[in-house]
Amino acid sequence: MKYVDAFTDISVADVKVDLMRTAYDNDRAFLNSLDPRVVLLWTVLFMIVPWLFYDPLPLAVMLAAAFVLAALSQVSKYLLALLLFGQVTNVGFFIVVVPLVGGVARALGYVGDNAGGVAEAARTGDLGVFADVFSIVTAAVGEGVHTAMTSQEVGIDAVGAVIPFFLKLTIISVISLAVFSAMSPQKLSKGMLRLGVPRQLTFAIAYGYRMMPLLVEEYHALINSFRLRSKVPEKTGVLKWRYFYYLLKLSIKAFYPLIFNVAKRSRVTVEAMETKGFSHSLGNPESRALRTEGMMVRTRDVSFVFGSLLFVAALWVFL
Amino acid sequence: MSHNSIVVEDLTFRYPGGDEPVLRDANLTIEPGEFTAVVGGNGSGKTTLCKTFNGLIPHFFEGTFDGSVTVAGTDTRESDVAELSKTVGYVFQDFENQLVQETVRDDVEFAPLNHGLEDYAERATRALETVGLDHLDDRFVWELSGGQQHLVALAGVLAMDPDFVFVDEPAAQLDPHNARETYEQLRRLHEAEDKTIIVIEHHSEFIADYCEEMVLVSDGGVAWKEPVEVGLNRLEDLLAHDIHPPQVTGIADDLPADTGTLPDGRYPVTVEEATTAFPSATPPETRPAADGGAATARGDADAGVASTGDRDALVTLAEVGHGYPTLREGYNRVLDGLDLELYRGDRVALVGANGAGKSTLLRLITGLESPDDGTVTVLGRDTSETLPEQLADDTVYIHQNPEEMFVEDTVRKDVAYYLENRDASDVDERVDEILEYLDLEHLADRDGRLMSLGQQRRASLGIGLATDPTVVLLDEPTGSLDLQSRREVTGMLRKAESRVETVVVASHDLQLVAGWADRVIVMGAGEVLADAPPVEVFADPDLLAATGLRQPQVVELSERVGVDPPALTADAMVETLSGTTESDALADGGVGGEPSSGGRDER
Repeated sequence: MKYVDAFTDISVADVKVDLMRTAYDNDRAFLNSLDPRVVLLWTVLFMIVPWLFYDPLPLAVMLAAAFVLAALSQVSKYLLALLLFGQVTNVGFFIVVVPLVGGVARALGYVGDNAGGVAEAARTGDLGVFADVFSIVTAAVGEGVHTAMTSQEVGIDAVGAVIPFFLKLTIISVISLAVFSAMSPQKLSKGMLRLGVPRQLTFAIAYGYRMMPLLVEEYHALINSFRLRSKVPEKTGVLKWRYFYYLLKLSIKAFYPLIFNVAKRSRVTVEAMETKGFSHSLGNPESRALRTEGMMVRTRDVSFVFGSLLFVAALWVFL
Repeated sequence: MSHNSIVVEDLTFRYPGGDEPVLRDANLTIEPGEFTAVVGGNGSGKTTLCKTFNGLIPHFFEGTFDGSVTVAGTDTRESDVAELSKTVGYVFQDFENQLVQETVRDDVEFAPLNHGLEDYAERATRALETVGLDHLDDRFVWELSGGQQHLVALAGVLAMDPDFVFVDEPAAQLDPHNARETYEQLRRLHEAEDKTIIVIEHHSEFIADYCEEMVLVSDGGVAWKEPVEVGLNRLEDLLAHDIHPPQVTGIADDLPADTGTLPDGRYPVTVEEATTAFPSATPPETRPAADGGAATARGDADAGVASTGDRDALVTLAEVGHGYPTLREGYNRVLDGLDLELYRGDRVALVGANGAGKSTLLRLITGLESPDDGTVTVLGRDTSETLPEQLADDTVYIHQNPEEMFVEDTVRKDVAYYLENRDASDVDERVDEILEYLDLEHLADRDGRLMSLGQQRRASLGIGLATDPTVVLLDEPTGSLDLQSRREVTGMLRKAESRVETVVVASHDLQLVAGWADRVIVMGAGEVLADAPPVEVFADPDLLAATGLRQPQVVELSERVGVDPPALTADAMVETLSGTTESDALADGGVGGEPSSGGRDER
């Protein structure tokens, strides 16, 4: 199995543990020590703040700050890498696509300009039409390639135009990653419950957190089950693309049995919830009060909010 | 009729959409302070009956409900599930899905919080202390072992301080060691906390050891309720419902009349009772001869193992080390410097405590995981250099949880999946053949996930055999099966042997191991602790105890009554004992040590 090192179980196990750590191991995370309501409100606030800036520089500084926060929240390095990869390729995409679209448009335009003559020739049955078509297409491709090669600057300009947009998106993504991976599910649902979010939803979040590791295990087992009964493509192709395509197909197929198995599990869970008095808790103010007691806004919460606002104000004024 | 009892009167219940009532005129009274086992065959309605106690029926499953169920004076129809659950706690068979919060303490506090009880924290603490889990209260539930999860579910029930604790098949999903721990726990609750305990149980040996009363559910009705010693002696009733009496009771029944009974005329139900009831196998003066016989037997066994050296190893593990990263405890090394060779024709049983690395070992052989250190060679191929898909040409791994093997929506498609993926020529014929071979034809068009566990096991073996393997790896094939299904699995293993060269079974089920394997590998501390024929392994109680296993009753009994080497199956024991009984008569006539060795020869 050496030649698929990136996909061996060892690394899968590592990734699993890293993601688990992100989601569940938040004892030392900075944001987890704050009052959950404050963190939730702060998050909403900072979903908006980046949109008030237009220059790349303050946005870049803000992004750096967001990364510091993510580091303090022990966000999975795999998740961050995935996020960055997504954003960078998105930006890179523009450098390729803008000239390409320009070239294609140019070539199509050229074909359009000359199509009239070809149609005329075809109607009169002139055999020279084939030669004409050939020369028109060649010329069109030439024009297109020329445009694509020479319009790099247009592409870069386009990127320049979208960079602030991507920066804003990235800041928001990193902040929400940091917040949701730093706060323990209990705290999160506690905070939301106190803010008036219905109990059904807060429970669903907590339950989702509880089930996720099981689902990951089950999904992995199902993929393994598929692998042991499938055949790998004999020719793996360039960069083993056939092999990876095969793995991709399996990983999509495995969702189907996964959903069935989950549905089966939930039957028992629903019964158990009933015996544990879940439906009683829905309209029960005492239960809600007990669940949300012990939350307190302290100096550190206030200073965190004001500190970050001051930081943003400083960016506004000085940059 | 006591005010605090559960009373079921003339209860008839039909699930919505069902044609037949599941319960018919059931009548039952459970008094406070009982420790009661509910038994019955698959589909007899015992779980349905028990779900009426806490109101899941008729409040959650709304069917046709006639008659009445009264819990501590309250008619269940006039209350609701949450309210009734304060009196009747329910631990589900599928307890893992009963845990709905992510940490232990949160889950135990869940019910008291839902009811808005201010002392929820103290309640949780008390419940966790009762089951001995207070040191784990901040753990994530999925990081716990099966046994611990079961205790969390139990603690979650105890947090509401119910009078009745109802546990659905505790031994089904737990290994024997943990199942026994759970029963010890239930006994403590019963004795120290005065709880009334009700269990659904297939394993009559647990019933004999722990329960006081026994209820047989048959065809939707309650056939009888008797004290355990009496109930377990109604062998015909039990066998008619696929419930196997304890091994010792079965042996007593097979012995000639007048032997093997207790003074009051009934058969023994525990090893303890059997020791007094059964004739001693070896008169003390013949002891040396018996030991000599044992030595010979062991000598044979050693010779058997030695002769395997001439054969080619199909699977070789050399200095294998392997482990996993974990969230809380860092890298957990499961196997460490393990050496093992498996040969053609081996019937290998892997035994060991939970976490001893049995499943890891099997997965290494499939190539799904490559060892961190050392090499694993399967049929001449190094698993680190070979894709699991390629190794699967010759080996098959049958998952502990059959559900993970069902990837299609019918059994037929599942069995055919491998063949079709490999462009086999005569897929339909081969699938038909396998389905017929394992008696799966009538299930062929059903979804595997919706069948009973016994049927699922059979189907998963069918999926495995369709690959025409050389090496079959089975992970816990008898886990959570009732005894009838377990016998079927043993039968299947025998059938499978005629088609494959080596079968490796990881199992906690020592009765299966005793009756089937010819080579037992005991795993512990990351390596092989013992590799010997079953007789030797079972004769070493220290080794078994160290690995969290327990001797089968028949082996324990052999020791107590002096059968040496120990009998491994009930039949062998019956032969030995009846041989001895006859020879005892002879011995009275004056012949000394001869007869007992005669008895042994019969084996």
